[in-house]
Amino acid sequence: MTQLEIRGLAKRFGGVQALNGIDIAIDGDGITGVIGPNGSGKTTLFNTIMGVHKPTAGQVIWDGRDITGWPAYRIAATGLVRTYQQAMSFPGISVLDNVSIGFEHGCDRAAPRRWTSPESLLGFVGLDGRGDEIAGSLSFGNLRRLGIAVALAAQPRMLLLDEPGAGLNDHEALALRDLILQFPGMGMGVCLIDHDMALMGAVCSRFIVLNFGTKIADGTPADVLQDRKVLEVYLGEDA
Amino acid sequence: MTNHNMQSPTQPVTARVSLPEAKPRYMRGIKEPTREEWCLGILILAGLIAFPFFDPGYRFLSLAVSTIFTAIALYGLSLQFGQAGIMSVGHAGIMGVGGYTAAILANQLGLGFWESLPLAMLLSALAAAVVGLPSLRVGGQHYIIITFCFCALLVIALTNGGTFTGAATGLDVGPIPGVFGIRFAKLDNMYFLCLAALTISIAVTFAIVHSPYGRTLWSIRENEPLARAVGINTNLHKIGVFAISGAFAGLGGILQTYYLRHISPELYGAFPSLYLALMIMLGGARPLYGPLIGSIIVNFLPELGGLDPIDSRIAYGVGLLLVILLLPGGVSGGLLSLYRRGTKTRHRLEKGRGLS
Repeated sequence: MTQLEIRGLAKRFGGVQALNGIDIAIDGDGITGVIGPNGSGKTTLFNTIMGVHKPTAGQVIWDGRDITGWPAYRIAATGLVRTYQQAMSFPGISVLDNVSIGFEHGCDRAAPRRWTSPESLLGFVGLDGRGDEIAGSLSFGNLRRLGIAVALAAQPRMLLLDEPGAGLNDHEALALRDLILQFPGMGMGVCLIDHDMALMGAVCSRFIVLNFGTKIADGTPADVLQDRKVLEVYLGEDA
Repeated sequence: MTNHNMQSPTQPVTARVSLPEAKPRYMRGIKEPTREEWCLGILILAGLIAFPFFDPGYRFLSLAVSTIFTAIALYGLSLQFGQAGIMSVGHAGIMGVGGYTAAILANQLGLGFWESLPLAMLLSALAAAVVGLPSLRVGGQHYIIITFCFCALLVIALTNGGTFTGAATGLDVGPIPGVFGIRFAKLDNMYFLCLAALTISIAVTFAIVHSPYGRTLWSIRENEPLARAVGINTNLHKIGVFAISGAFAGLGGILQTYYLRHISPELYGAFPSLYLALMIMLGGARPLYGPLIGSIIVNFLPELGGLDPIDSRIAYGVGLLLVILLLPGGVSGGLLSLYRRGTKTRHRLEKGRGLS
């Protein structure tokens, strides 16, 4: 069932047309991957959906509600939560406080909690026993886990992950894959951006390909990766 | 990521849903002070209560009163800067709003200290919230400059306020009406009144810092975009913490006005505001006793060191540089880490003895 629908979404920064009228419908129970070359508008798409940027044109419909132009915190409170590529955590405070902040905010409070406490959530992402450490002192891989935990703590019904695999080694990327694969079964749709095609291929049931702010392909990974336009974008005209 | 207590994605979601039976830790309101925190608090309070009984003389006792009402205002700034991470050099201006509210109410309507007190705090909170509005659009140094301008403007407005604000000479107020036969014209009693207000301020600060609301403020300081992304209305909470900060400043301001029995614009200009910022940096913005320590240092240093105003400004400047370079958490932060290192060494020593 379509839960997040994007209609004709456009975003212009001065002379740069970062998003050029994108239409996407995302199901609430699958894992959708957004791929595309650098500068194709993937992160801008997330930012525009999530209220960081106001769209120039178009609509974002979430759960039957038009959330276009809503402030980010209000969108998060309706169960649509995102992670950031760079700034993943609250670095100066403890790991447990990081997750507690998510627990105390976000989420429609009526929704049943998947985790009864911040501690159990930390256990779920593999950070048990690290609650008292200062977030900024964690290793990069653990910081990524914490970033996901902070977002999970807000009790999302759909999670937008912006390059969760960036900078992870193979072992960490595998663990991340296992983690992400569990989300649909927990009632959480996932939409993720990443350049790690091994990860994307393993978790996504659908690929959306962006190039210069335009959607050029949308379908199953197998179909999309054989698409002529996609091959041109990634491998050049003569491919 | 470790796979304990995990289930395969195909299992139904209800298996994972269980409602909390006991209130989990994150929801348990305000954290209780630890035994160490109780001890330190009682020790400091006892010291401050005992101070007038050591016959410090009029000069030192009046310095102590100044120290305390300044510290009260600083507790507001410590929430705004130390917890939410938003510095302001307009805090004296907000104190001025409180002081002038009380003085104008006294002169125009004949209201006394106790009637003006809530109004002064309320108006200061409102003023601080309004001055804080630009912080929703600009941050860091840019916001600091705006608060600086607010102070400069306030002084101009007060100086040109005619008989309403008393212009450059300011306004006089009467003594604080006595309660249960305690006369606050007597300096000792004024000291104890200020001390009571300080104790409340410290307790309120502790409660805020150790409640979920404190964590909300930290999230703004640490990573505002992420805070918004997990559902925190950061704009609302910024204005909220400015208002709380302003209420503290208003309390400090009205105590100052009734202690001096007089109020004039130059008390609340940009320079006094810079001093408040200096105190919070010297003392440390985050540890509970940082504002008090900062206020003690800046108020007592010239007297104890025999420094004239020019010398003391140089001393403050050098002190500020040293603190920024050597003790980023201020003097209180330095003391705290020294104490923690001490207890760690003691634990290690005890452990070592246990093993041998």
